[in-house]
Amino acid sequence: MRRLMQGNEAVFRGALAAGASYYAGYPISPSTEILNVASGWAAEHPEFGFLQAEDEIASANAVIGASLAGAKAFTATSGPGFSLMQEAVGYAQKVGVPSVFVNVQRVGPATGMPTMPGQGDIMQVRYGSTGDYTPLAFYPNSVAEAFSTTVLAFNAAEESRSPVVLLSDTFVGHLNEVVDPEELAAAATVAPRELAPLGRHEFGSPRFFAGVLMYEHGPNAGEPATADADEYLRQYYAAKHRHLEVANRYALYQHGWNVDAQTLVICYGIVSRVAAPLAPDYALFRPIRIHPMLGDELRAIAERYEHIVAIEANDGQYADMAELTLRREVKRVPLLGGRISMEALRAGLDRVLGGGPAEPPIPLAPTEAVERSPLGIG
Amino acid sequence: MAETALAELNYKSKLKLALFPTIWCPGCGIGTIMMQLAMVLDEMAMDETNTIIVSGIGCTGRMGSYMQFESVYTLHGRTLPVAEAIKTVRPEMNVIVVAGDGDTASIGGNHLVHSIRRNVPVTVLCNNNEIYGLTGGQTGPTTPTGTKTLSSPSGNPNTPINLQGIVRSSPHALYAKSTVYHQTHLRNAIREAIEHPGFSFVDITSQCIENNGRRIGFANANEMLTYYRKGYKRAPKDADTLGPMEIGVLRPEAERVGNGAARPLVVEAAPAVETPRPKAAPVDDEEKARKRAESQQKLALMQKLSPETKVRVAKGEISLADALLEAGVEEGPA
Ligand SMILES: Cc1ncc(C[n+]2csc(CCOP(=O)(O)OP(=O)(O)O)c2C)c(N)n1
Ligand code: SF4
Ligand SMILES: [Mg+2]
Repeated sequence: MRRLMQGNEAVFRGALAAGASYYAGYPISPSTEILNVASGWAAEHPEFGFLQAEDEIASANAVIGASLAGAKAFTATSGPGFSLMQEAVGYAQKVGVPSVFVNVQRVGPATGMPTMPGQGDIMQVRYGSTGDYTPLAFYPNSVAEAFSTTVLAFNAAEESRSPVVLLSDTFVGHLNEVVDPEELAAAATVAPRELAPLGRHEFGSPRFFAGVLMYEHGPNAGEPATADADEYLRQYYAAKHRHLEVANRYALYQHGWNVDAQTLVICYGIVSRVAAPLAPDYALFRPIRIHPMLGDELRAIAERYEHIVAIEANDGQYADMAELTLRREVKRVPLLGGRISMEALRAGLDRVLGGGPAEPPIPLAPTEAVERSPLGIG
Repeated sequence: MAETALAELNYKSKLKLALFPTIWCPGCGIGTIMMQLAMVLDEMAMDETNTIIVSGIGCTGRMGSYMQFESVYTLHGRTLPVAEAIKTVRPEMNVIVVAGDGDTASIGGNHLVHSIRRNVPVTVLCNNNEIYGLTGGQTGPTTPTGTKTLSSPSGNPNTPINLQGIVRSSPHALYAKSTVYHQTHLRNAIREAIEHPGFSFVDITSQCIENNGRRIGFANANEMLTYYRKGYKRAPKDADTLGPMEIGVLRPEAERVGNGAARPLVVEAAPAVETPRPKAAPVDDEEKARKRAESQQKLALMQKLSPETKVRVAKGEISLADALLEAGVEEGPA
């Protein structure tokens, strides 16, 4: 039945449709509704595991435990909580734990501006944990897409055996749109769990899941390989290739608006919705798969345009990746401090296309009292 | 079984002997804990299909890799959230945590406190060697006041953490204290802890000869064991707390109402509520496991249907069984 649904709730419903049966989390705006909905669901479905953890470190590690035990498991947080989860994310990458980490972004760093929308975690998702790894991350821009992209994130997690990140933001998370949840659920294709749960493996010897290097096969299987660079190479590249191969199945993006325009605008998440009035005069490239970078796809599209401008609610994080990929200038319109408005966006576009800098003119500090912000410390 | 002769025990089948010798220093106390745990698990007929070992990081953490059980070697300090989630997803499993004092009470201290609060039904074996062994002998949370360590060259100025007090802050938790010298006592304590239905914690004093003992004046491991033998006494059976040099098992005080000095949940008779929500019936663990399997199977079966049929099933227009019949799909294993 069609009904109004919030973006955050859609993430939870999508997770259910993907077969999730465990959630752990710690309250933080603007992701909290996911935790709330999960707790309500768990109260009525005792087979659904739920933990309100003592902190995000516990949530992330609980998700890892639940997944190894056989459940499709996930957590949701915002930038500060995601920072606390980084060690666990790296561990899940190394051990190969299928899991989903939802990051509903707000303005950072640190406690930042808790009620304001931001997109400052693009790089945290890519490089936040220690060591090298190849994360997969997706970023929807509507309630229906939040649902379907969550399903896809779970599938990609199973297929790549890795922690997949679902990005969102204050606005996408709090957006209410009409969707038909049954239809969305029915459209979901669900990847099966292949990793045998703890205690149910079918090999000769019990497994040892370790964040350190162990021989996986051969005569030394199960023994430490912490000083063997060859084994490191074998395992590192096997994981990398597996992740990239799965990512290729989900090379999701939107190329639209006026595709014959001179300027290609890159934006994603809520910014791509706010920017909709640019439709007549600009072409749009909206990556849904944020990581790994959509290299071939963007290269093929970018060729057709004279200018490329990345409009994002951070100081050019995706623009950096795009520039590196395209090896040509990508202009930047940073929408900072939560100001994701059409005025700021147009002013920025006019500025950079007129040859001006990415940095907006900085207003002088007021000499008279301005309207006070609520002291948002969530 | 308490006093069964060691020789009769088949505990070696619980160890990955092919990986021996272990990485531990000669004279280290960890091996004794592992042996006693293996004996208990053997006695209790526990095997890799019903028992999971979750270990922390540190010398102690390596125990998981030497045991014939499925094991998760977690991040430093994160054993308990991992163990709790495993227990939630697989309530039929017996989940045992093995970790050092630093892992359990310092970096993992917050998880410890909250796992106790939630009465997570897992057993923690804390190898309390009063030192950060693996990193070379720095002060840990249980290092006694005055002890000289690599990081407290003029003696630890702080009071060690009160593990007994922390565990006993919950009326549901079992706290046991033993040492690697008192092996029969240790074995019985481990067994009792595993059998306890709620959170249980075995605080095991053991020697780190290499990175602690020698620095504080013991010539060898044997001297440390002799010190445990002479110093530690069994507490009276009905003891309610253990003194600093006492070993024993403190069973939960079931009569207490809530945590610590918690107040009772219900205060006054509340005005009648119009439509009380039906209280979810208590579901036992097997029921949970069955329901989970059922819902997973249902999901898998749904995948065999066309999108249109899925919508009809989701909307309740047709039952799943009928839809499968209509589509000519076998209901067999998904
Ligand atoms: C996040 C993190 N911080 C620090 C370390 C380094 N480290 C490894 S083991 C250890 C302490 C071990 O002490 P304890 O838990 O008492 O175990 P023991 O070696 O004494 O058995 C530390 C600090 C680590 N692995 N991870
Ligand atoms: S350093 Fe200490 S705790 Fe670690 S193996 Fe050696 S004796 Fe045991
Ligand atoms: Mg220690």
